[in-house]
Formats: sequence, structure tokens, C-alpha cells
Amino acid sequence: MLEVRDLTLRFGAITAFEDVSFDVARGELLAVIGPNGAGKSSLFNVLSRVYEPQSGSVRLGGQDMLARHRSELAACGVARSFQNLGLVGELTALENVLIGRDHLMRCGALRGGLGLARTEERAHRDAARRALATVGAQDLAQRVVQTLPYGDRKRVELARCVAMEPQLMLLDEPVAGMSAAERGDMTELVRRLHRDQGLTLLLVEHDMGMVMRVADRVLVLDFGRPIAIGTPAEVQQDERVIRAYLGEELAVGA
Amino acid sequence: MTEFLQLLFQGVSLGATYALVALGFVVVYRASGVINFAQGAMLLAGAYTISWLATDIGVAFVPAVLASVALLALAGAGFQAGVLRRVAGEPTFVLVMITIGAGIAVTALIEALFGADQRLLGDPWGSSSFHAAGVTITWVKLWGIVVTVAALAAYFAFDRYTRWGLAMQATAEDEEATLSLGVPVARVHLITWALAGSLATLGGLFLAGFPSSPQPTLGDAALRAFPAIVLGGLRSPTGAVVGGLLIGVTEVMTSGYAPSSLGDNFYAVAPYIAMILILLVRPYGLFGRAPAERL
Amino acid sequence: MRRVALPALVVFAVLLPFGLSAAQLTTATFVVIAAIGATGLNVLTGYAGQISLGHAAFVGVGAYTGAVLGSDHGLSAFVWIPAAGVAAALLGALLGPIALRLRGLYLAIVTLGLVFIAQHVFFNAGGLTGGPQGRAFPAVQLGAFDFSPGKVLELGAVTIDSSGLYYFLALILFAAATAFTWNLRRSRAGRAMVALREREAAAAVMGVDVGRVKVTAFVVSSFLAGISGALYGSYLSFAQPDQWSLLMSIQFIAAVIVGGLGTTAGPLLGCAVVFALPSLLKDLPFLPAEGSGGLSAGDLTSITYGLLIVAFLTLEPRGLVGIADRVRRSRGNDTPSKTPKLTVTTPKEAHP
Repeated sequence: MLEVRDLTLRFGAITAFEDVSFDVARGELLAVIGPNGAGKSSLFNVLSRVYEPQSGSVRLGGQDMLARHRSELAACGVARSFQNLGLVGELTALENVLIGRDHLMRCGALRGGLGLARTEERAHRDAARRALATVGAQDLAQRVVQTLPYGDRKRVELARCVAMEPQLMLLDEPVAGMSAAERGDMTELVRRLHRDQGLTLLLVEHDMGMVMRVADRVLVLDFGRPIAIGTPAEVQQDERVIRAYLGEELAVGA
Repeated sequence: MTEFLQLLFQGVSLGATYALVALGFVVVYRASGVINFAQGAMLLAGAYTISWLATDIGVAFVPAVLASVALLALAGAGFQAGVLRRVAGEPTFVLVMITIGAGIAVTALIEALFGADQRLLGDPWGSSSFHAAGVTITWVKLWGIVVTVAALAAYFAFDRYTRWGLAMQATAEDEEATLSLGVPVARVHLITWALAGSLATLGGLFLAGFPSSPQPTLGDAALRAFPAIVLGGLRSPTGAVVGGLLIGVTEVMTSGYAPSSLGDNFYAVAPYIAMILILLVRPYGLFGRAPAERL
Repeated sequence: MRRVALPALVVFAVLLPFGLSAAQLTTATFVVIAAIGATGLNVLTGYAGQISLGHAAFVGVGAYTGAVLGSDHGLSAFVWIPAAGVAAALLGALLGPIALRLRGLYLAIVTLGLVFIAQHVFFNAGGLTGGPQGRAFPAVQLGAFDFSPGKVLELGAVTIDSSGLYYFLALILFAAATAFTWNLRRSRAGRAMVALREREAAAAVMGVDVGRVKVTAFVVSSFLAGISGALYGSYLSFAQPDQWSLLMSIQFIAAVIVGGLGTTAGPLLGCAVVFALPSLLKDLPFLPAEGSGGLSAGDLTSITYGLLIVAFLTLEPRGLVGIADRVRRSRGNDTPSKTPKLTVTTPKEAHP
């Protein structure tokens, strides 16, 4: 479904990553990992159209994604999560998830202000509640987001992505900044989204342990170059991967 | 032709003054992302302080100017320390609104203290002038250009060659990172606002010079420096200078050449129209760049 | 609390004019008229987070549209009041392409330019605005109801004078405006505006049509400003172009801030403070007589506006509503604050 070919990104004289190619099949979870500075975040930013690559191609369902602006991502069926959280603190969890539904809604401000949009609103609220249920956050619907602990906020963020009904979900370091317990919960949640909901996911992550538990396949970057791609088992035994991580602690979540 | 040169000279001198005012904005914006809507009020305060010291108190002119620069520098720093620092974490929008509020209050206070009439600036130049190439060059305007160039040169040297200049740039770039490097960011902010106060005073001095005078409407004149900073791109000191010159020349040229069909006093809105037109083509000003986004 | 308060508030508002002196009623009427415009600005600045210094321009456009259609062309108030809103909204929509391309503070400065350009046009378009001398504005006539000064309406035992009629009309329109914006806030457009305010960069990626939301906010805001302007001009019955000044824009900004940005009660509360202020200050004992130099009421008003803005933003950014909230919570009511906070605390993580 997602085809990346020979993608290269440079910032002036510095190469963020070079000649990256991979596919993500429908319903697959591909994780991109690598030591710090390997270029995985930059890759993520190219895919979510924040950066413009120097060369290469990205096709989603045959469509040229590089021709798209980042404001078109939702319409193309791509949902991405944000590390600094795309949530609006003063709104409730439900309202935040509803923002994810925005691109699927049709009612304009006039109908909204006159109170004529109730039917559509109800339908989307139901969808939003279902999304919250998918991540196990249905009880948080009326809670104001800034009162929620970090782990719960991350759930709501994921619910927002799910509510967008995307073809492809891009997850930006989902367990970053989490405690061990939170990491376990999030890993389990991502696994559920993938297995039970059949979502197609591309994950960028630092935490090896999490990745090994949820990924169908793993792409390993080192200094901007892809050094291995395969199942978690294959990649873990790959010599080049071991060498890349040698001297670095394997960030295996407890 | 001489009329053109005359207008050009006046435009450049006005532009130089706008450049000074614009630089005061840019300095604050670069360090904190705040547009200081109180700059006009500071300018007004500067001009009035000079006038008060020189005419009411009888201080000699140059010391009066220096003292005013110092006083306004202190006032600027005081405002930062006393008010802005308390709202440090709030969104920029809040800080900007605070400067709007402060600006209104100060402008009205000055009018309350000194009345609405024109005052004497107390400068030694008055309306004296000399002639060159058919152009009347008033001393005050010439000095305006000279002082502006000197102030700009001093600022650029400060920015590039001293560690405070570097500290200000770093703070503008990433305050938290700079703080964690041990840079006294609080002091940087104080210096930034002190600079804004001094630049405002110098700007006020020349805006209040012949043929104008210290009067409450000076604050509005300062507002015309806004297009200058916007044109220049809010973060660029060079842009501020170019923007200031452009606006000054535009304003004077329009007052000289604008057809009456565009209405009386068209020159007062010409800078804004020019600004809007340029922004349509270049949304970040002539020298500005779209800010890098971290999502 | 809202269940009980709202009917009580309505009753209070309806009965109020009968307990006020003529001068007080005039002030109250201006307050409610202004509140219509403030409700609009609350949408633009409170919901969508766009700083606009140009509100006075839209108010002025509304006023002159009303005057031209009502006085010069003799159309009924049923036409010129809505038309005033539409005219102002069209100007707001024109601002759209500019608003789309500009971020935050650049947009604020463009709106500053808008006020000056609008005033320049008002001063020079003598045929429409009367030029620097000013012009008369039409009194409202709704069918049998004539709002002209001096006319009274007798409803059985109750007599309502011109001021009272304007008051009630403004009250009705204000209530409608508030209901509209309340619904708006709870609808798709309202959420999109808040997302725009808090997370502009991320909102686009999330699928929010940021451009359209900005334009919508401007259109709603200027429509209400136009209606407010039409009533304002009509109630004043005569105005000069310097009425629609930067100071007026700032009064509106002060009103929404003091009241509480983004809140429902904010606009009316804020207008009550800001627009009642001049008449309150005028009668202060320590002020010297008019024209004798020294501190004038006008200066004192401006100083107070400025200080109010600074004080509220520094101490209580949620305005009067925020203060009321705090008082309620300190009395032991433990529910978390429902009034929006201007800041959103997000954990700052390191970017790898």
C-alpha cells in the first residue's frame, strides 16, 4: 500500500537519510528503528510532508504523496500522531477526537450556529466514542484533556487518529517519555489496534523491546542508511544491526 | 528634479527614523516573539522626557538626550521585569495584548501630564538649515540620519561581536536551551527591553524634531513604523532598516505626488497599503522567512 | 448553576430599563449594542485566536451601510440592519485571502492597517459618510414601532421610550448572537477554531481546513460587528468618521479580555465594564472641570483601559468569568474549571 523508493533527505551538507526504500502492505505494521541520529524522525517528517526530500518517491495506494501538501494528508487517508501531542488541553477527550472527524464532516458554520447540524453531529459523536472505546478510553470522553495523565492523553491522541478512519497511521515514537507501566499499556494498545482493528501502521520508535513485540517487519536505519529490513527475529540477529547498536544500550523496555 | 531630491532627502531622513523605531521592534521580537505595541508610547515618552528635561528643567540638550535614553532604557527594563516576566509562560498573544494595554495607558498618561498642546523639544537646531544642490537640508533631519546610522552601526556591532548579542540571538532561537546552557536569560530580556527603550527615545527625538514637535499624535506616527517592520520581516534588523527607509520614502513621496483623488492625507495610509500589497506576495515580509516548524 | 441563572438573568435584563434613570439607560443600551459586536470579536479572538485590531472598521462599515440604505434610500430597518451585517461580513471575507497567508502577528498588524485605511476612506467618501463633518443616521422603524427620539410606546400600563426600544432590540439581537455563537462553539466549526488557536500547525495535518476556518471566524465576527455598528450609529443618530477609530477597536479588545476570552458571558460582562467606564469616570470627584487642563476624563478612561488590559492579562487571563470561577471554586466546589484557560500545558519532550 505504501511504497517508498530511494528516498533521500539532505539539510545542506548534512544527509539525514539516503536511498531508503521499503513497502508497507495493507494491514501490516512496519517499525522504523535506529540509534539516535539515525534519521528515523526525519524520515517520518518526510512521510508526513513536513520536509521535502531531495530525491525519491513515496506512493500511497498508487498516489504520489510527494505532490501532496501536509494539509491534504487527512484527505489522502493518512493520520499521524504527534509527539508534543496534537491535543487541545482545554477541550474534552471527546471534543479532541471529534477534531479528528472534522475532515469527514460536512456541516458549515452557519448550520452549526443555527443548531441545524444535530444529526450529523450525533453520528460523528458516536463514531468518536467508538474510537475512544477502541483505545480503552471510553470513560474519559467528558474529561478535560489537560487534567489527564500523560498515558491517558496518549490514548486520546491515538483515538483521534483512529477516528480519522485512515488507510495508514503514522505513529511518532508512541512510548516516548513513558514510565515502564505506561509503556506496557501502550505496546498492548498498539498491538490491539494492529491485530484487532486491522489497521496499517508505520511506527518510528526508539524502544527496541516495544518494536519487537508489535512489528510485523522492522526497518533499521543507521547514520541515515538502511542497514536491515525483515521480521523482528531476523533483524535482531542481523550482524550489521548488532554492530550498529554495539556500544549503545539496547533500549529494551522492561 | 530638485523637488524630487528634496522629497528624497526628507524621505530618507524620515525613513532613517522609522528604521530606528523598527529596529526597536525587531530587537524585542527576536528575543521574545512579542510585537511591542507599546513602542509608540515609549517613543512618545522619550520625546517628552527630552522636552521636559531640556525646556522645563533647563538641562543642556545633549545631556538631556542621554539622560532620557537612560531613563527610557530603565523604564523598558522595568516593564519587562515587573510585568512581562510575570506572564512568561503565557502564549505570545497574551504578551502582545499586554503591550497594547500598556501602550494605551502610557500614551494617555503623557497626555494627562503634559496636556494636548505642542511643546518645544529644546533642541539646538530648530529650523536651521543649509542648501546643497538646490535642496534645503535641515540640520535636525541631517542629524537624524547621522544618529541613526551611528545607532545602527553600534547595534550591529553589539549583535555580532559581543557575547550579549550572541546571547540575545540564542535566546531568540530557543530560550530553554539557552537557559540550560547557563546563559542568564532573564538579563538578556532586560537588556532587550532596555535597548528597545533607548532606540525608541532616539526615534522619538527625531520624529519630534522640526517641522514636528512633541505632541500626543507622535504615537500615531510611530504606528507607521509597523509597516516598516512587517516589510522587513519581523526578525531581521537589516530588514528593519530597509523597511524603514522604504516606508519613509513612500510616505514622503506620496505626500508630494499623490493625486487628490486618493483623498486628503493619503500619505498616512500609503505605508499600510504598501505593506498589505507586499504581504500578499511575500507573507513573511521582504526579508522574512517562514518559521521552521517542529510538529 | 446555568439552569437557574439563565431565566433569572433574562428576567433581570428585561426589567432593568424600568429601574434606571434616563442617563443610565442610555449607558446600558450602548453596553448591549456593543456586546453584539464583542460577541463577534469573542469568536474571532476568543475561539479562533486571531488578534484583530480592525474591529472598528467593520463596525463603521455596518453603521454607514445602515445609514445609506436607511436614510438615503429609505429602506426599512428590517433591510438595513441585516444588510449592515452582510456588508461588514463581505469585508471580513475579503480579508480572507490575506488572513490565509499570514500568521498571527503579521495578521494583527494588517488589521491595524485596516482601521487606518477604513478611517481614511470614511473621511474622504463624503457622499456616503458626510466626510469630516459627519452625518445623521436613521432611527429604527420596525413596522408600527418607531424608535425615533421623543416617540414613546405604550403597552397598557407600561411606557417605553426611544432608549428603551433600542435597549430591547439590542437585547434580542444580542441574545440571538449569543445563542448562535454558543451553538457554534459546540459544533464542528467551533472545535476547528479552537484547534486553529491552540495547534495551528498540527490542525492542518489533522484534516482541519485551516484557511476556511480563519475566513469563517472573520466573517462571523465582522457580521456581528456590522449589526452592532448599524444599531450604534442609529442610536447615536449622528456620528463623525473619527468615531470608528483604533481606540474603538481597543475598547472591544479590552471588553472581550476583561470579560473572559472565549467564554459565553464574557462579552456582555466586559462591555459592561468597558463601555460603562467613561460615564462612571466622568463623575469622579477629583477630576478637574472639563477643559481646564490636567487630567481629562478621556485620558483617565484610556489609562484605565490600558491598565485593565494589563492587569487582567497578568493576573487573571480568564477575565471576570475566570474570577467568578475562582470564587466559586474557593467556596468548596471541587469541579475543575470549565472556563477555558489561555495556556495549554503540554509535556515538553525532547525531540530526538
